[in-house]
Order: sequence, then structure tokens, then C-alpha cells
Amino acid sequence: MSTDQITVPGAQSPSGETAARPGPRAGRHAGRRARSLTTRRALSFYVFAGPWVLGFLTLTAFPLGYALWLSLTNADGLSNNSRFVGLDNYREVLSDPETMSSLARTGVFTAVTVPLTIAAGLLLAVLVNQPIRARGLFRTLLYLPAVVPPVGAALTFKLIFDRDSGAANGVLDALRLDGVSWLMDPYARWVLITLTLWGAGNAMIISLAGLQEIPKELHEAARMDGANTWQSFTKITLPMLSPVLFFQVITGIIAAVQSFLPLLISLDPTPRGVTAVPEGNYLFMIHVFAQYFANGRYGYASAMLWVLFLIIIAVTFLVFRLSRGAVFYSVAPESDKPSRPRTIGGK
Amino acid sequence: MVFPRRSAVYMLLVGALVLFLGPFGWLLDTALKDPSELRALPIHWWPHHPSFSNFRDALTQIDYLGYARNSLTIATLYAVLVTLASAWAGYGFARLNAPGKRLIFSVLLSTMMLPQVLTLIPTYLLFAKMHLTNTYVPWVLWGLCGAPYLIFLFRQFFSNMPKELEEAAIVDGCGQIRIFWRIFLPQSWPVIATSLILSFSWTWGDYIAPALLLDDTHTTLAVKLAYGYHNAHGAPLGNLVAAGAVMYVVPVLALFLIVQRGFVTGAATSGLK
Repeated sequence: MSTDQITVPGAQSPSGETAARPGPRAGRHAGRRARSLTTRRALSFYVFAGPWVLGFLTLTAFPLGYALWLSLTNADGLSNNSRFVGLDNYREVLSDPETMSSLARTGVFTAVTVPLTIAAGLLLAVLVNQPIRARGLFRTLLYLPAVVPPVGAALTFKLIFDRDSGAANGVLDALRLDGVSWLMDPYARWVLITLTLWGAGNAMIISLAGLQEIPKELHEAARMDGANTWQSFTKITLPMLSPVLFFQVITGIIAAVQSFLPLLISLDPTPRGVTAVPEGNYLFMIHVFAQYFANGRYGYASAMLWVLFLIIIAVTFLVFRLSRGAVFYSVAPESDKPSRPRTIGGK
Repeated sequence: MVFPRRSAVYMLLVGALVLFLGPFGWLLDTALKDPSELRALPIHWWPHHPSFSNFRDALTQIDYLGYARNSLTIATLYAVLVTLASAWAGYGFARLNAPGKRLIFSVLLSTMMLPQVLTLIPTYLLFAKMHLTNTYVPWVLWGLCGAPYLIFLFRQFFSNMPKELEEAAIVDGCGQIRIFWRIFLPQSWPVIATSLILSFSWTWGDYIAPALLLDDTHTTLAVKLAYGYHNAHGAPLGNLVAAGAVMYVVPVLALFLIVQRGFVTGAATSGLK
């Protein structure tokens, strides 16, 4: 009975030794059991991980390969005689002015919204972390917009910025200013940025969780040493929070370059309309959808997406390199693991 | 770190609240106006004759409940399947060992970085070839595979459960599947709830996948709402859009407000821990 308990999990190698050594029957028996347990656990692992692996191969890896192949053809979805065109699509991506300008616009959109969202989220997080009344309520209400589904958020902003009946022009009118066609150039991009910032509650929650892990003693010690609020913020809060902010930069970039919100705020009443997107909001994803739906250019659209993917990888890598030294990983006192493990980049 | 002036904190917070909640106010406001008020100049800040007829019209002008049922079906199917499948895979990554596990796990983590849209076009073509468009089979398949983020969530939770739970069961002759099903899964209600809510709201809010895969009758509320309400000339009807959007958004907000205690930080920050 007692040998059984010793051989159970985690003790494979000691019990394996027991098995190799001539010993009492009970010991050898236990060793064999342990070995078969190890194999059984390995088999069980494959049983448990199997569905995901299978799904990854069929629903992710295979489509990725298919997308790569499509990007080398002139497939258009209409004719069945798509043919291999080599790197022509990629050459076109790099030389088509419309593609490049939508890419540049996406870059600007990302460079503006990611830092703004993180900064707004951090400010809100610091505010709702103060010892004030009803801060739980403030947290909940400020997070609320982040829960609204994208279509709901886009429709709401379309109503606010409507030329004739929207609140934005109502405010301008009250100030005796002329109303503006917000959803058209050159204002549409500001509506898009505002809409993106409306979801800053998400960044707030992530930063707040980071703030709460900073030991209070650090700030107290700094105050004892005569540091003011600003010094304590820049010298303690920011460095301690840097892994959390870094995480937000990476995920923010990945989300922003894929943004299709312009499609929803500028939508004309057709299901797959991309024609009504004003130039200022004509981001890379919108161009992909236009090529794909309006022109049926599956091959070209796939090449564009592969280029986007490579750019994401490159930018992520660059951010990792640039942040080396700027991101501070503290070691939690109760464990010898870094308190922020490397799950962020999967590396 | 404590702000020197508490009144400044309150002022900033109240200002932020006005900005963050204002859009909800305007949505509700518009939903209560009749079409003539929407055209009024200068604009009416408050509806002079608030009425709920917009909500009735929003329900009848398009087959609102039908589309809501489509959304509900897809979101429920996906949420239930993906939660079970993610718990299943998460258990394997947390409690079992096998050659190749590290590799598989790092592939899993890196797929979280993969832009979803990259696989969408070929996936659409594949499903079209298999005659699976206009069916809900794609969501079943996606659900059965589990989602990397949720798998990660379950793995984190299962990793922290005491070893004794498992050991006692093995002594009693339990197989791993029974251990998972009878011991670990019933203990993980907080994660199950988080996973159900997250996956449900992803699907309820998703626009691109249903727009690609489903035609006008099979599509979801998210897609139909975006372009469904317009008059004979194709101009959108703002008050009906607003009423429709309120009914689309409120269930999500209500669900969130009911479960938000303890849920928000856990769900939003689990990627960090």
C-alpha cells in the first residue's frame, strides 16, 4: 500500500532506479507501474492536447499555407483557371500607391492610437487607484464602453457625429459655430481615433492590475526620503509598471493594424460596402476588403495580408529589441520566478 | 502613490465619466426621438415626445428576433464548445507531461500573436468548397478546437491546484479523463464562467466572420444592424438604428454588470500572469 503511494506522479526517476535494482517484488512492481504511469501520462497528454493540435493544423496551419499559395496566384474566385504568377502580387503590393498609402495611414493610426490609449488608460488607472469614495463604481463605469461590441460602438458614434442630428454638431451650434460633416474627410479620422479611445477602459483595467502589484512600501519609503508625487510616479510607478505597459504596446499594435472599425463607421447601407470609406480612414484592412470583395482579387488580397503579417512580426521584434533595458522585470519576494513571466511574446 | 489633492481626482474622474458615458446617453436619447425630431434644427437635446415606438419598429422592420436568434445560436454553440475544449486542452498542458509538450505549448502561445484575418480568406474559400457557408458548422469546428487564450487561462488555473487531488484519485484507480471530468472541471467554475462570458461576447460582437460566411437570412444581428435600417431611398433611419443598437448592446452590458465583480481584472490581466 505504502509503496503505491511513493510511486505516484512526480517520482518517476527515483522509482525507475528502484526498478533497475534487484529488490523486493513490491519495489520492482512499483517501478514498472511508475514507468507505465509515465507512458500513460504521456499518452493522456496527447489525448488532451490532440483536439487543439488537430484544429491548429486544419483551421490555422493549413489555411496559412493555402493563403501563401493563393498569394502566388491570380485567383479571383470567378474563373477556375487561376494560375501561378510567382511574386507578381508581392511586387504589386510594394509598387501600388494605393496599397502603400493605406499601409502608411495604418502606421500613423497605430502610432497615434496605441500610445494615446495606453496613456489615457494609465491616467484613469492612477485615478481609480486613489483612496476615494465609490472607486469601484468609477472603475466599472469607465470600463463599460470597452464591453460594447464594435458594431454597437460604431453605430453609436455614427449617431453622435451625424451631420444633421448628431450631438457633436449640436455642441458646435450651441457655441455658434458651423456644423461639420464629421464622417467625411478631413474629420473622419478624428472620429475614428475618438472611437478607439472610447475603449481605453481596457487599458485602464490592465494598468490598474499592474499598479496594485506594486508594493506600497516603495512609495512610502520614497516619501520618507522626500520624493514628491511626480518623482515617485516616474521613478517607481513607471518602471514597476513597464512590463504591463510593454504588454499593452505589443497587443495594441497587433490589434490596431488589423482594425476594421472604419468599415463600420463609414458603412453605406450595403452589407459589404467598402466604397463609402473616406480616404482618411482608408486603412490597410479596408483596402484588403475592397480588393477581396469589390474586385474578387483573392490572390492579391492574400499577398497583402502576408505582407501585413511579416510587418507585424518585424515590428514586434523591433519593439522587443528597443524595449530591452527599458522594461524592468522585478523578482517577486515569495518566489524565485520573475513576477512577469515570458508569456507575452511566447518566447 | 497618492495624489496630493483629492478634489482634483474627483474632478478628473467625473469629467472622464461624462465623456465615457455620454455616448450611451446620446444613443438612448436618439432611440426615443421620432423621425421629425431627428430633423429638427437646432437639434433637440431631449426628445420632446419620448416614445417607445422606435423599439417596436426596430423589431418589426427587419426580422430582429430572427437575427438575434442566429446570433444567440452561434454564440451559445461556440461558447459552450470552446469552453469545454479549452478546459480539456488546458488540463493537458497543466497536469501532464510528454515529449514535445514544450514545442506544442510555444506554438499555442505564438498563435495568440497571429492576426486572425490572415487565415480568414483561405478559411472562407475552404468552407465554401465544403459547402459549409450559410451553416453554423464553422463555429462548431472553431469551438471544438478551443481558443489559445482560453486554453492558457485554464492552464494557469489548473496548474495552481494541489497535487494531492490528483494523487488520491490515481490511488483509487481513476484515469486522467475521469480526474479531469470529476475532480478538476467541477472546481474551476470561476474560469468556466469567465470563458463562457468572454467567448459568448466575442461571437456576439464579431462582424467579419459572419459577414464572410453567412448570407442575408443566416447572418447575425451584428452584421444586419450595421446596414439594416434604411428608408426607400437607402438613407439610414437614425432613430431605428439607435433603438436596434440599444437592444443589441444592453444584454451585453447587463451581463457584464451582473458578473463584473472579480471578473474584470481576472479576465483582462490573465495574459500577464
